[in-house]
Amino acid sequence: MSGEVALHRFAVPLILFAILFSANGTEASPKPQIVDIHGQVRGREARVFFTLGNAFTPEMVEALKSGIEISFKTVVRVERVYRNWFDPTVGELTFTRSVRYDALSRVYRLHRGTGEELLPDVQAALSGMTQYEITVPLTVPAERGKPYRAYARTRLDRVGLSEPLRSIFFFSSLWDVETEWAKGFLVAP
Amino acid sequence: MKTPPIQTAESIREVERARRRRERIAIGIVAALVAGLTLFEANLAALGGSVSFTSNIIIFALININVVLIVLLIFLVTRNLFKLILDRKRNILGAKIRSRLVLIFIGFSLAPTILLFVAAANITTTSIKSWIGGRVGVALTGALEMARGKLEAEARSLSGAVEEAAWRIPAGAGTEKAGMILETVRKGFAPEASLFLADPSWVVATSGDVPTGVADEILSRLKGMRFADQQGDSTTLIGDTFASAVRKTRDGRVVVALRTLPPEEARIIREIAKAYDEYHQVRLLDDPIRASYVAVLLLITLLIVFAASWMGIYLARQITVPIQLLAEGTEKVAGGDLDVRLEYVSNDEFGHLVSSFNRMTADLKEMKRSLEEANLSLSTTFDELRRRTQFIETILTNISTGVIVIDRYSRIAMINKVAERMLGIKTEKVLGKPYKEVIREEHFEAIRALSREIGTAEGGQVERQVELPVGGKKISLRVSVTALHDDAGGYMGLVVAFDDLSQAMRLQKVLAWREVARRIAHEIRNPLTPIQLSTERMQKKYSSAHAEDPAFAECTQTILSEVGTLKHLVEEFTRFARMPAPVFKEGKLADEVQSIVETYRAAHPGIAWEFERGEVPDAWFDPFQIRGAVTNLLENAAAALHGKGTVKVGCACEPDLGLARISVSDDGPGIPAADRDRLFEPYFSRKEGGTGLGLAIVSAIVSDHGGTVRVRDNVPRGAVFEIEIPLRPKGKG
Repeated sequence: MSGEVALHRFAVPLILFAILFSANGTEASPKPQIVDIHGQVRGREARVFFTLGNAFTPEMVEALKSGIEISFKTVVRVERVYRNWFDPTVGELTFTRSVRYDALSRVYRLHRGTGEELLPDVQAALSGMTQYEITVPLTVPAERGKPYRAYARTRLDRVGLSEPLRSIFFFSSLWDVETEWAKGFLVAP
Repeated sequence: MKTPPIQTAESIREVERARRRRERIAIGIVAALVAGLTLFEANLAALGGSVSFTSNIIIFALININVVLIVLLIFLVTRNLFKLILDRKRNILGAKIRSRLVLIFIGFSLAPTILLFVAAANITTTSIKSWIGGRVGVALTGALEMARGKLEAEARSLSGAVEEAAWRIPAGAGTEKAGMILETVRKGFAPEASLFLADPSWVVATSGDVPTGVADEILSRLKGMRFADQQGDSTTLIGDTFASAVRKTRDGRVVVALRTLPPEEARIIREIAKAYDEYHQVRLLDDPIRASYVAVLLLITLLIVFAASWMGIYLARQITVPIQLLAEGTEKVAGGDLDVRLEYVSNDEFGHLVSSFNRMTADLKEMKRSLEEANLSLSTTFDELRRRTQFIETILTNISTGVIVIDRYSRIAMINKVAERMLGIKTEKVLGKPYKEVIREEHFEAIRALSREIGTAEGGQVERQVELPVGGKKISLRVSVTALHDDAGGYMGLVVAFDDLSQAMRLQKVLAWREVARRIAHEIRNPLTPIQLSTERMQKKYSSAHAEDPAFAECTQTILSEVGTLKHLVEEFTRFARMPAPVFKEGKLADEVQSIVETYRAAHPGIAWEFERGEVPDAWFDPFQIRGAVTNLLENAAAALHGKGTVKVGCACEPDLGLARISVSDDGPGIPAADRDRLFEPYFSRKEGGTGLGLAIVSAIVSDHGGTVRVRDNVPRGAVFEIEIPLRPKGKG
């Protein structure tokens, strides 16, 4: 066996294995998820309600109290459900929510896309970040008596660190928050 | 089938060189990309405060590319190190020194880098800990509390104004009336502040400059606090740009008095709040920050180590490649290949070394060419000399003169075959030895006596006829001694020449005997006829008268008988005297001799006749005379054996001497030593009834053929006669 062949046969897999094993080191934690997704369609809009569970770990809550801005990006998709056929998407909305604690004012500044809400305590802030009541515009009017289904997915979008920390944690994410797609039927008129 | 191209050592080296160049370029690009991308990402991080981490695909791509590039760099370095280990195991030339240099480089870089890493990590950790655990937190908290206290005080100072305004504004008051009341109250209680009445989610009336954003924030906060639903009637709200006091009116609306801070004051408060936030974030993220710093330091350390390893490999290759080239080149030169030319261009010492090596091989090649030319010239000269020497040796071999060359140290430098035979010595035993030790004393004395005379002799040559013992008998030799001198007149030695005069003397004797025989025959022949006739007449005339006397008849018969004998003798004499010159013809001598032997085998069946035929080329001879000579020798042999014994006849050739040799040996009684000198003389015979002319005639025939005849003892008994005649007599062939 020539040196070149030995090199490719042993060295390359060795290096790749080393890289793969070194990358595998995350700890298991309660997975964030979207629960209780429901709502109704009417006319050209769908109102979707759901709750984001396990989104805030204790570390994240502590980080929030320390003034770190936390932002979630959420995608809500509404599909018309057909039997034995593909379900077309009739509406989709992507939006973000963020919250930040103002130490001077001692309020939590929550942004839900409709201006800033100033909340006096962390529970209110967390509730504002995890309770969703969304109106999704539909591309076609809702059909009476037909089934519709909503899908939602949320992930951590941004962690608003102060500038020096932003540089330090540029190559890494502090937390990994991302839900699977959750689905639930919507009530049609 | 396609034949694969032949890969020469140079082409393999060229491919390897190209591969290494590609690797170097790849590594350079990788390093540049890592550095560039890292810089770009760092700038991006600094600039893009609002850029989200996880949603930005470009950032992810850049990070992944960086990781891939770093992995690639690690792979290339590891691959090179692995290859180096393999080369070392396979004992490839230069691998050991290369691995040693790489180890040295890694060792020298690893120690300070690790030291630096440990120190930097320690310093970073300690600094962060000390910053977090020190008084910075207390100071920042204190500053924030102070700012907040100040703002709270400001807000409280506005409480009187909102109390008054809330008391004065009647329930359901419209914008105009409420505005007037607010203006009155503001002028009376807080002229530097501004007041507004809200419903409570929208502003009903204002007094003074009420920033919209501030009013909205206050209302939003009141909403979040559910102020309208609270039991309390008043509160204070502060922000980084304002301080405010809030009071419910009688109809549930709210009156707000606020004071906006001067910009500089607001900026300071914001800075304090920001620093406070940063401090708390750092405190919260203490461990990840430290881990991140350590990771960065570790990454830098690894990069330095890999860079040092690569540099070590590169420099080691820079050093070992020319050494390897030189070693290979030297091996080729040692193997005789002087066309070696090392392709390595550099301005350093190795470049000079390689260039010197190339110059050296070129010089060697030139010298070799010169040497080959000189060798060729010498070889030609040597061949010429050898040809000349062979020519001289041939001459010396073929002449009948014995020659000895004696050098200046009295050692025998050359001796020819004739001299060997004459002096009874062998060339291979005497060459280079003092002639005094290897030749007989008599010969030595004769040569020394002559050499002493050379000094006084004219022309440096002395010649004498001397009698010297050769082969058990004394023969007459003409000895000539010549001194040799070089061009400068220096003495070089002696040339001693021996001429055997016995053959010439024998010839002279034969000629003399022929003359004698002719005269005797002439003198005897004349009176014989009258004597015969007279005797016959006497017999006729007086036989009857002396019939009773038997003596008469007896005497006359005796006279006639003796006359007959004398006549026979005279005829022999005449034949001997009148022997014709040989008539040379080219023929097969061996066939001639063999036919004679066959004749004698038939005639003398009691004798064992053996014929030994050698390789004899066609020779020039007189068949009639040679038959006569050989017949004479066979006749003598048969006579000596008295019908019983063995006769061996041989016919051979001496190609070097250009001679044919006929030998006749018998196992008879042999020839007494005393008779040998006279054996070939006429009228010498030991044989009863012999005329003594047989061997004389043999000698005459052989002499006429330019050859020699001699006799020697046979071993263990008997005699051997040898005839030697030239294959090509003068003027023939």
